[in-house]
Amino acid sequence: MDEHVLLVEDDPSIREVASLGLEQAGFRVTATGDGRDALLRFKQGPFDLVVLDVMLPSLDGLEVCREIRRESQIPIVMLSARSELHDVVVGLELGADDYVTKPFELPELVARIKAVLRRSTDGPPEGAISVAGLEIDPAGFSVRKGGEDVALTATEFRLLLELARRPKQVFTRELLLELVWNYDYLGDSRLVDVAVQRLRGKIEDDPAQPKLIQTVRGVGYRFGRG
Amino acid sequence: MPLRRRLTIAFMLAVGLSAAALAAGSYFVVRHNLMSDSVNSGERQTRRNLAIAPTYLGQGTDALLAAYGRAEAGFLTVGVHRGRPFSSNPISIGMRQVPIGLRQIVARGELGYERAQVAGKHYLVVGGPARRNTQLYFFFSEQGLRHDLALLRNILAGGVGILVLLAGFAGALLARQTLRPVGRASDAARSLAEGLLETRLPVEGRDEFGGWAQSFNEMASALETKIADLSAAQARERRFTADVAHELRTPLTALVGEASLLAEHLDSMPPESRRPAELLVADVGRLRRLVEDLMEISRFDAGQESVHAETVELGALTAATVRARGWEGRVRLEADEVELTSDPRRLERIVANLVGNAVEHGDTDVAVRVGSDGGPFVEVADHGPGIAREHLPHLFERFYKADAARSGGGTGLGLAIAQENARLLGGRIEVWSEPGEGTRFTLRL
Repeated sequence: MDEHVLLVEDDPSIREVASLGLEQAGFRVTATGDGRDALLRFKQGPFDLVVLDVMLPSLDGLEVCREIRRESQIPIVMLSARSELHDVVVGLELGADDYVTKPFELPELVARIKAVLRRSTDGPPEGAISVAGLEIDPAGFSVRKGGEDVALTATEFRLLLELARRPKQVFTRELLLELVWNYDYLGDSRLVDVAVQRLRGKIEDDPAQPKLIQTVRGVGYRFGRG
Repeated sequence: MPLRRRLTIAFMLAVGLSAAALAAGSYFVVRHNLMSDSVNSGERQTRRNLAIAPTYLGQGTDALLAAYGRAEAGFLTVGVHRGRPFSSNPISIGMRQVPIGLRQIVARGELGYERAQVAGKHYLVVGGPARRNTQLYFFFSEQGLRHDLALLRNILAGGVGILVLLAGFAGALLARQTLRPVGRASDAARSLAEGLLETRLPVEGRDEFGGWAQSFNEMASALETKIADLSAAQARERRFTADVAHELRTPLTALVGEASLLAEHLDSMPPESRRPAELLVADVGRLRRLVEDLMEISRFDAGQESVHAETVELGALTAATVRARGWEGRVRLEADEVELTSDPRRLERIVANLVGNAVEHGDTDVAVRVGSDGGPFVEVADHGPGIAREHLPHLFERFYKADAARSGGGTGLGLAIAQENARLLGGRIEVWSEPGEGTRFTLRL
């Protein structure tokens, strides 16, 4: 394991201890405390994952997230205080994959990072799925709609794959949190809702009237009509 | 009885009584005058009649009556001539109808009158001596007079009635007008009590109500200022707590990270630094819990907490909570399947705090029961030392320690947070305790 992590955190102590922790967990870490600097370094990359604090000087974490998403589907894990959970939702809507609330234990951060990376590395050993005008290729991590490539983050791709593999089956949010995000206990169901919204924005003809990913009120989601 | 009605009735009474007195007075004056007029004219006619009587009496009583009849004077004549009674209308009237008193007066040779009723009709009877052995009595009908008086009486009574009714309307109107400031004042006081501190009364006129409205407004302003000051102070205090917790979070995050790095290397440390490092790691954990609890409490104070409700199976949630905290060995769980719509994260927090509290204070044997009777409940019972009665009402206060000497691993905020969460979910936490027997907390939803 030699993944390269870009760590963006303005507090020097947290930055250093998180760097140490991630290095001991086997990652290569580039750390910075400034939003603009983070974007510069990101361009010099390549990185496998970004850990991004919400509150940053010069350019805040949400802006950094937006800028990165403009050109890349790299996994992003946000760091945030519980009192900034509103920002977290904005971050998720901008395309962050997951978040960890401060104060966090290092093993918790490492576990979240590994879970996100797993989504983009070990795909299920399955052949391509072709359904409703979508071609999903688990091996190549690619989705084509009407012959054109659709750029999905690892989380979005994994979510689509889990749903599309079992069309018409209803997935509860808890189950999706377990399958996609690797939460086995009380994950944040907003992760699912926001990711479904983003996914619809990318693959539905009309995201306001979704045909592919349908909401089952009070239960969860399913792929296609029941 | 409402003041308005009382005022109206008083007004009606005042108007009605004075009008009635006035009417009665005028009636009696008029009556008296009409009556004496009638007597005067009766006496005049009687004198005339007596004067001409001797001329005709010589030809007998019939001649006299005929003479009276020709004059068409409108009276009936009764008399006694030489011991024999006679009458102008013997069928209906005779000496029997002449009052005894009058007969005695006339017998003394004087003119007299008296009023009498004959067959339901009112008459003025005037009598006098015509000659030595002849007495004459004339019946003047007073039916017309009586009728006029009755009419007058009715008109006056009707007038008084109408006046009283008018007074009623006017009084009600007046009372409403007068009492309107009172009604407005009570509305204002009510809205003030309901928390609309900016309520003021319009100050109209310089009467007592105007002055009173002025004082009311001054009181309301004073109250508003006072409460604004108080809540500003409270907001500052809460803001400060929130700020402190917030500012602590950054160094705490670093500390927690450092402690967890340290924790991984405890084994490789030399013995003299190992124990302090262990203590450091444990204390950082305690500090973290305290700051997180403080942050949660200050979020409740700021009203920032919201509920994310979904379908929850209470038994499974409780089991998972106990398992996740590693309390399986110390907790006996007896759970029915209870499904409800609520916020699982908050339920988990409540259950964890209650069970954690029991595990910490309640010796080894903690029994947790999940069920439903009237509503879903989670009951956490221990067989610890129990809590003295005087402490029970304060258990859910922040940093309240029932036993000052007992310094457990808790933050002192756990039960307060559990209570706030329960309230937010529309539930409550009940506590029962008996020193020496144990303590039982019940979350009811």
